[in-house]
Amino acid sequence: MQIHKRTPSEGLAIGPRADLGLTPTDSAVDRGNLSRRNLLLTLGAVGVASVGGSIGLIAYRDEAAATEAIMDPSREHQWCRVVDLRRCTGERKCVSSCQIRHGLPPEQTWMRVLSWPDEDGGEHYMPVPCQMCENPPCQAVCPVSATFTNPQGVVLVDQETCIGSRICMAACPYDARYFNWSEPAPTNRMPAGSPNTPEFPSNQIGTVGKCVLCADRMPYAKELPACVDACPNGVHYIGDLVTDVAVNGQTTVRLSAFLREGNAVRFKEELGTSPRTFYIPGDGQPIGGPLEGVS
Amino acid sequence: MSKSTREPTVIDSALRSLRGAGAKFWVAVALLSIIVGFGVFAWIVQLQQGMGVAGFADSSFWAVDIANVVTFIGFSYGGAVVSAILLLTGASWRSPLARLAEGMALVTVLIGAAFVIPHLGRPDRILGMITLANPASPVFWDFIAIVTYAIATLVFFALPLVPDAAILLGTHPDELGRFRRRLYRLVSQGWTGSAGQRGVLHRAIVAMAILIIPLAVSVHSVLAWAFTLVSRPGWHESIWAPYFVIAALYSGVALAILVVAGFRRGYHLEALIHAKHFVRLGYIMATLGALYTYLTFADLLPGAYVGEQGPVEIVHEMILGHAAVWFWLFLVAGTIVPILLVSVPRTRTISGMVVASVLVVIAMWIKRLIMVVEAAGYDRLTMSFDDYFHFTWVSIAITAAGVAAIPLLLMLLFRVVPMLAIDEIQEVAADDGSTVQRHAATEPAPRGHKAAVVAGSLVLIGLLGIGVGRAQPALAETVTDPAEIVATAASVGPEVDLTATVTSAGQAVADGSVYFYASTPMFAGDDNQILVGKVLTGADGVAEVSYVASEIGNVTVTAKYYADVQGAPVTSQVQVEVTEAVSPYVPAPARPLDGTGEVLVRFLFALVAVVFAIITVQVVRVRRTLRTAG
Repeated sequence: MQIHKRTPSEGLAIGPRADLGLTPTDSAVDRGNLSRRNLLLTLGAVGVASVGGSIGLIAYRDEAAATEAIMDPSREHQWCRVVDLRRCTGERKCVSSCQIRHGLPPEQTWMRVLSWPDEDGGEHYMPVPCQMCENPPCQAVCPVSATFTNPQGVVLVDQETCIGSRICMAACPYDARYFNWSEPAPTNRMPAGSPNTPEFPSNQIGTVGKCVLCADRMPYAKELPACVDACPNGVHYIGDLVTDVAVNGQTTVRLSAFLREGNAVRFKEELGTSPRTFYIPGDGQPIGGPLEGVS
Repeated sequence: MSKSTREPTVIDSALRSLRGAGAKFWVAVALLSIIVGFGVFAWIVQLQQGMGVAGFADSSFWAVDIANVVTFIGFSYGGAVVSAILLLTGASWRSPLARLAEGMALVTVLIGAAFVIPHLGRPDRILGMITLANPASPVFWDFIAIVTYAIATLVFFALPLVPDAAILLGTHPDELGRFRRRLYRLVSQGWTGSAGQRGVLHRAIVAMAILIIPLAVSVHSVLAWAFTLVSRPGWHESIWAPYFVIAALYSGVALAILVVAGFRRGYHLEALIHAKHFVRLGYIMATLGALYTYLTFADLLPGAYVGEQGPVEIVHEMILGHAAVWFWLFLVAGTIVPILLVSVPRTRTISGMVVASVLVVIAMWIKRLIMVVEAAGYDRLTMSFDDYFHFTWVSIAITAAGVAAIPLLLMLLFRVVPMLAIDEIQEVAADDGSTVQRHAATEPAPRGHKAAVVAGSLVLIGLLGIGVGRAQPALAETVTDPAEIVATAASVGPEVDLTATVTSAGQAVADGSVYFYASTPMFAGDDNQILVGKVLTGADGVAEVSYVASEIGNVTVTAKYYADVQGAPVTSQVQVEVTEAVSPYVPAPARPLDGTGEVLVRFLFALVAVVFAIITVQVVRVRRTLRTAG
């Protein structure tokens, strides 16, 4: 895995003192004031700060809850995906690597690569994994709360509580959910000793499965999700909305700038699901114009 | 009226199903039991091998089992119409049909609810519906509505048994046998038939009749909402809740006609049940059929007219595509022909009504199946239809078991309790005037809705206090290349200013491309580099860029200058301590109705509590009047 490669990312020709649009708005600064104190308390490095923290805990319940939220290390990240369609050539390595990693049968793909012909006889491609919605319809309709969003924004299914009602499959606007219609064949079982957690589920007859964003690899410091790792063209990015960084295994980019420069869109935005998967539209065009000074 | 006006014929007729049954009866029970047993066997096979053996796949994730749930629970409403609605409207001709209809309502709601079991992938975890309940899910309210309705149906069935059990215990104690004697005594102990007791019982029955109507509406509405509360084309239809209610009434009256016809023939009830009963039920059925046809048109028109890709393709597939054969079969055989059979005087006979009912029952099952299977098979990404559900022997066997279970359970039920409402028939015969009391109607009952949970607090990492990072112009590389680059970095608040000065042989280099990178600890343990920007140097050889930091910590800034396209760059690195950062992350904004779901859920729980209180009060009142009189 090469994530230190220091080729410049594309299309970021920014003039001197360029406004990157990251300056917080007034309201954001106000909210920043609130959380700043909490962060001080969180760090707990200074004795004064610790005292302030305990006072805060006693004095204000809301403040205490906010402090806890900040102190929870899992809150430091909010994971997302970026799919750079400009680079996708339809090799479907993302699909096969995912199937291998999660022991999926051939008919079950947690990522689909759609394709359709263009006027010139070429093909357009579009990989569609679980969109990791912030308002996931699948989660709302689950009668037994088997689908949940973890603190870092990854939508997961607890294979041990799913009753197989499949109403989540009806609710998902992206058809991103799959059912285990039969007992997994030995070749499709997870190797012995697999943890079988919602982050790394083993396939169980009669339950629903879906993309888990390889959540067992969080915070993705050592390994990236299988699809990100496998793509030879760097189509798939895993990103963190909080620290504003995304990586495709070849390049590391500033997420917000990358999305803005690429005119990123979200799939079926009108449904109000607030997906955390962003698509950079395009198909094979030179990215960001001719590069200067780089071979 | 008094109990002395007993008509022996009514009691005799009622006793027919309780007396020793003939060989025919037991052969029928055996055959039906075999079909049910085979269905259970098929379900066990499905449990072991997975739902794939029943013909399911990801493109047909919902199919025959959920269609059966809707269809069979729908039949149940037919019993409620014949019994409750006709009772409240004072249609006393219903009295010989009432017990059969109530029995049918009870049996079909149980069978319909049982079809949830093969519908689930993991029925062994069904207790999770209670222990892990999610009140935001329409399926949760399906469960609540079905359970409430089933309990109300049982009470509505049981209350009128009190006087009947007393009558039979009084007139034919020896013919009942030990088991039934004990059961009847349990039910009717203390019944004297006094005016006071009759008043209490009558009020309780009327209260239950009023209650059962909105409860049935709630069941069929919530069943519809399990489909309509998702954004899937074809299911996301506002008309479906009332559409399901009318469908239930329509198919339910049809099955009621069949049940009445079956018992009339099997137990020779011709003296009590006449052609006029069938014709009157036929009129009700035809009216509902016309209403259902109208709603079918109203359901399909908007999607077809607007032409939005999903809905219009669903309509096209239904009326002209692969499902068209079944759709037109439903429309012709399931609505037009039955309505004609009722309308034409020559076919307005018992056999005419039975034929019409058979057509309606089968066609309405087909209609439910295509409504489920078609939309489930629509791929919302490719906007095309995938493979539909294919019947296998497993799904056929499970469905056949449900069909066979209706006559089987009814035959067994009426081995235990009288199939005629003896007391009521006598009452009607004695007093032609109806004594139905009107009560204020209760409110319509539960609806499931999404209880949205408001997203939590905003997390912004910010640190005030102006900690100016100390820039250390270290590590400036001195290479043999004539070009040199020196980077500096300073942080003011969350803003980080980067500069680089490019010189060549002591001269400032103008218009040189400088690439600035900042390191991040994300996605790698050490210094993962992010491109901040590519900037041209000015006349003084200085390039500048600034960015707002989103992480605090020690940042390694790298500036690179490519003197020549092919060659290696000259680089300069500098460390800067970032003490304040602003994350651009903001949680998704709240949606317009976020938070209202919680209010709705509380209201629904209160409503369900009221319903159970009403049911309990009726049962307690009747029990109390029996105890005090006894």
